Amino acid sequence: MRPETWPMFLEPAIWGFFFEGLRATIYLALVTVALSCVVGLLFALGRLSRRRWIRWPSIFYIEAVRALPVLLLIVYFGIKGSALFQPIFGADFELPTFWAGVLGLSMYTSAVLAEIIRAGIVSLPRGQTEAARALGLSHAQTMRSVILPQALRLMVPAVMAQLTTVIKDTSLVGTIGIFELLRQGRTIYTQFFNPVEVLLIVATIYFVICFSLSQASRRLELGYVPKAARIKIQDIALRDQAA
Amino acid sequence: MPGGIAFEFPQLFFTAFWVTIQLSIFGLLSALIIGTVVAVMRVSPVAPLRWIGAAYVEFFRNTPLVVQLFFLFLGLPLIGFRFSTDTFEHIFRGAAIGMGLYHGAYVAEVVRGGLLGVDRGQIEAARSLGLSYPQMLRYVQLPQTFRSVIPPLGNIGIALVKNTSLASTIGVTELLFAAEIVESRTFRAQEAFMAAALLYLSLTIPLGIAVNTLERRMLVAR
Repeated sequence: MRPETWPMFLEPAIWGFFFEGLRATIYLALVTVALSCVVGLLFALGRLSRRRWIRWPSIFYIEAVRALPVLLLIVYFGIKGSALFQPIFGADFELPTFWAGVLGLSMYTSAVLAEIIRAGIVSLPRGQTEAARALGLSHAQTMRSVILPQALRLMVPAVMAQLTTVIKDTSLVGTIGIFELLRQGRTIYTQFFNPVEVLLIVATIYFVICFSLSQASRRLELGYVPKAARIKIQDIALRDQAA
Repeated sequence: MPGGIAFEFPQLFFTAFWVTIQLSIFGLLSALIIGTVVAVMRVSPVAPLRWIGAAYVEFFRNTPLVVQLFFLFLGLPLIGFRFSTDTFEHIFRGAAIGMGLYHGAYVAEVVRGGLLGVDRGQIEAARSLGLSYPQMLRYVQLPQTFRSVIPPLGNIGIALVKNTSLASTIGVTELLFAAEIVESRTFRAQEAFMAAALLYLSLTIPLGIAVNTLERRMLVAR
């Protein structure tokens, strides 16, 4: 390691630069997770629906999108995003790169969250549904006031774990020109030619955030979680957290 | 026909597809080796080895793969390690090692779970029969973990195939890179990315079905 390259990191201006990137990263991750929770819930309910014309498209969306690389979706929306919305917003509409990134990240994350939510719903004991139906609640009422409140509580740790994955994945949107943490770092090291130092700092910042989040999600226990649900959710997590 | 553009540029798409497959295989092999070694470290009776293993897993799981790839590609040459830059072979090798390092951390957690799942009585019995610790690992503890560990390892394999797309950021001409090249030449983004997506799905969907079938079969066997 070259000791003479470190003093520049004492300057507050450099840290201001990193901080700007960090703000974009966190903002991207939060918007993505919020959007994906809503879309994911819809697809999870769609997959559990008894109507075939709702169920089959939902299964197709979830399975196909989960099996695609996130970077492919991000690059696709980065290039093609504006053209997709031009029929709606007029011919000179330009999709801001930030929203192209959110779109790519959310498409993937919503499919993953749909699977997590479905695993939470399916793992609840059948007696819950049966009792609610026997009391005269409709299917929609059963879902809304009996099943979902319990299932969503089960999933809070899994959703938090997914947030760490999303934060890691935001490092990919630099490729379409969003200035998040890694991209800010790249700007610095192309200027000063010090990738070792910059990448170590960037990695440390990601590590601190993701490590504390994943520890918190592991500690978080919201009531009783059935063992089957925990295993199922962990399995999904394994496949999609590495991505 | 969706994805038909792949046959207009077969040289680009199918060569790149083959690179993706090779990168997945080499990445998975190195991930398995690294993961098994780290897992054995994490359950070893020597405390410093356990700490190193834990630090490895936490560090590589909680930083983005792209940052690790950039470090291999740009950082290491500056501090004297030149095995991952300059020529295509070198960059490919660097990417494969990067895949192995990142996914190795996930493999380590899975294998460690399998190792801890082996009945303690078996380990004690093997030790009291006079097997040394490495012999016990080799003949008693490791063989029993392989069965339970295969479905989760399959899930990591699927993630790895998808993550090979990140190698395009350091210049490995794999599938996504090929799609980007074709897009920049023809401006047919829709078709180019559809072709790449279909080729990725042709790897990940069969893998996913295989993993699900295995999982179900093992549930029945239990």
